[in-house]
Amino acid sequence: MSTTSTNPSTAPLTVPPAKRKRKLPGWSTAMIGVAGAIVLLSTTSYLTGFPQLTSTGTWQTALRLALPILLAGLGGLWAERAGVVNIGLEGMMIMGTWGAAWAGYQWGPWAALVSAAVFGALGGLLHAIATVTFGVNHIVSGVAINLLGAGLTKYLSTLIFYPLSNNPRESPAVPKFDTYSAAGLSDWLGDLEAQQRVGISDVAGILRGITTGVSPLTMIAIVLVPATFLVLWRTRFGLRLRSCGENPVAAESLGVNVYLYKYTAVIISGALAGIGGAALVLNPGQPGYLEGQTGGRGYIGLAAMIFGNWRPGGLLGGAALFGYVDGLQLRSGGKTVLALFYGAVLLLAVIVVVQLVRKKWFSAAFAIVGAAILYFVYFSLDELPSELTAYAPHLVTLVVLAVASQRLRAPAADGVIYRRGQGD
Amino acid sequence: MRRRMRGIAVSAIALTSVLSMAACAKDTGGSSNAGSGNTAGDGCTLAAAPPAAPATSSSDDASAKVDGSALKVGLAYDIGGRGDASFNDSAAAGLDKAVAELGVKKENVKELTAAPNEAEDAKQTRLRQLAGEGFSPIIGVGFAYAESFKVIAPEFPDTKFGIVDATVEGAPNVTPLVFAEEQGSFLAGVIAAYQSKSCHVGFIGGVETPLIGKFQAGFDQGAKKAAPEIQIEDKYLTPAGDFSGFQDPAKGQEAAKGQIDSGADVLYHAAGASGKGVFSAAKEADVKAIGVDSDQYNQETVSNEKDVIVSSMLKRVDVAVFDYIEAVAANNLSSLPAVFDLKVDGVGYSTSGGKIDDKLKTVLEGYKAQIISGEITVSATP
Repeated sequence: MSTTSTNPSTAPLTVPPAKRKRKLPGWSTAMIGVAGAIVLLSTTSYLTGFPQLTSTGTWQTALRLALPILLAGLGGLWAERAGVVNIGLEGMMIMGTWGAAWAGYQWGPWAALVSAAVFGALGGLLHAIATVTFGVNHIVSGVAINLLGAGLTKYLSTLIFYPLSNNPRESPAVPKFDTYSAAGLSDWLGDLEAQQRVGISDVAGILRGITTGVSPLTMIAIVLVPATFLVLWRTRFGLRLRSCGENPVAAESLGVNVYLYKYTAVIISGALAGIGGAALVLNPGQPGYLEGQTGGRGYIGLAAMIFGNWRPGGLLGGAALFGYVDGLQLRSGGKTVLALFYGAVLLLAVIVVVQLVRKKWFSAAFAIVGAAILYFVYFSLDELPSELTAYAPHLVTLVVLAVASQRLRAPAADGVIYRRGQGD
Repeated sequence: MRRRMRGIAVSAIALTSVLSMAACAKDTGGSSNAGSGNTAGDGCTLAAAPPAAPATSSSDDASAKVDGSALKVGLAYDIGGRGDASFNDSAAAGLDKAVAELGVKKENVKELTAAPNEAEDAKQTRLRQLAGEGFSPIIGVGFAYAESFKVIAPEFPDTKFGIVDATVEGAPNVTPLVFAEEQGSFLAGVIAAYQSKSCHVGFIGGVETPLIGKFQAGFDQGAKKAAPEIQIEDKYLTPAGDFSGFQDPAKGQEAAKGQIDSGADVLYHAAGASGKGVFSAAKEADVKAIGVDSDQYNQETVSNEKDVIVSSMLKRVDVAVFDYIEAVAANNLSSLPAVFDLKVDGVGYSTSGGKIDDKLKTVLEGYKAQIISGEITVSATP
């Protein structure tokens, strides 16, 4: 081994850098990530003695809570990929809840779904007219739609629901979807989970949670994730749509009708947000429409999208994380959320090892300090204060965003107002 | 080469420390509450029941008819307003009764409703509008109006104000209409302890405020008094400051499911509209629930789930509102009780649905008599 090869500074500069190993395809890294998360959770659950971390109930809750966020996030993804910032998701979601309740109590859940999509799409259309045709600032238009959505539904429900439910802020009960369980599989997994064996029972609990009592809406929402990916990244239509978000002038010069694509994207965005609203109304926990029931989930969907780096897979991860932590704190409270801290310590420890192997001393040291602080919090507290647990999902999102934000990349022309022919 | 060796050594050390770390989880983890409370069986070993209450002579003093036709009554509701199937509705019932019985004219009544998480000055504007239009008395339904009354009451010294659920210091024209929720909740706790088969009950509060804390405190004490070994789950949907916890049935449902999964089989909620989620979770799991504020068994909005409701803790906001309007009409505010408690039937329990049998009723009346006589004092903080 000669000295020149070990000391890069003396090597000639023209030598091309060593070819990196072929990158794994996206889906397999995602799989590895999911498997890693499951291993981490089941280890944490085993070591801390909180089976709730991977129990069926927790995952069912997580799925239910993640659904509206996922749909809103998908809506945001469509709009932003075409270069329109959609802060109005919350308003479109509110319109969706009203539309779902209005059609739902008369004609059943499928009508509710369609009507919610239509009402949401109307909100999207409005946003498109304002931002694309008239060049209104995207944030201003979005905020206006949020206010409009809240005000309009308030008016409409006083007009239509009040005579029916004697309450201007609430709709009559809306029939719900039947839920489906994977026959046989669900019971078998239930047995496995009950045995409380390390690892196996955890995986069984998680799988059972996402295969038991699933409504058609859940299936649709989950299918929409790969569908969005395929449409936006594997079709000509998708390529053109994304080109409007990256460089509309170039897209125009190649003959793409940028306005049309932006319109389409924002309308689809509104429809998806509307379906997110329907997911709230058709949730088995409540009778139907209730004023203020979206509770900022549209904004959280937007955060999940940024968290997911404007990609469907990442967005799914963000929504799942949010739903999971929220479900955990609602169901089991501060003690269990504290156990997650222990899981975070384990995760950081793994990161430390990886960084040490890669000889990144600084980030390793940073991770060690982080792990030490978290472990101290975990060890010194018996139960996380309720003020903190309620915001655990927000905190987790913040931490992840803070760690990952340097590697996030928004579409280049996101939020930039574009006029036809401006490139000439 | 040597550097690489050192790297490997460091990472090996780190790896071993991770592995040793893995053994450092606390042993005091949650294994104790891992569904172990789910020993569905014969219920709790109950404490000795209190002596039966002496037959009370209901002192229906049938006071002289008061004429309220000259009054202009303004009502400012909290979030939810008329039709919330909870305590705003109860206030509305009191107002309706005043219209029917005291001759208050319908056109002289004005009702306004608060929006969720609205700004403080929105409340002030609402009260100022009512006072400016000459309404008196003006009733603020909910402790959320306390701060606004501090500002508005001195501006209109001749207007009579009443506030439900709060006391406003230094404003002589504001009459507090407060309740002993902890006393009513104590009885709810007794009901839960007697109805539970697994000796495990749950409380779900909407927002973690001192007011909702009174419900929890009373419930816990009642359940413990009736069954000293009982296990109690407590959960608030949102922390103080975030009032969406009163308005989110989805969260109520998930929290209830969590408590049911950990073994609780009677749930008591003080979570406003979120309670609908609690009822539907209870129905799905076939366990029991106790309603709050008004007799929820008879409420239309939860009629699908009414068979799980064994009782409701009654907080008679309607009584307080009516009594207050009556006292104003008679110009005799000193006749109002300082606290609407069990003694004046300001709080209580409902028996609609027939789930409370006579035996339990005797027990409840016994506890009630002990609380009224002061033999049991119920603390208002958990």
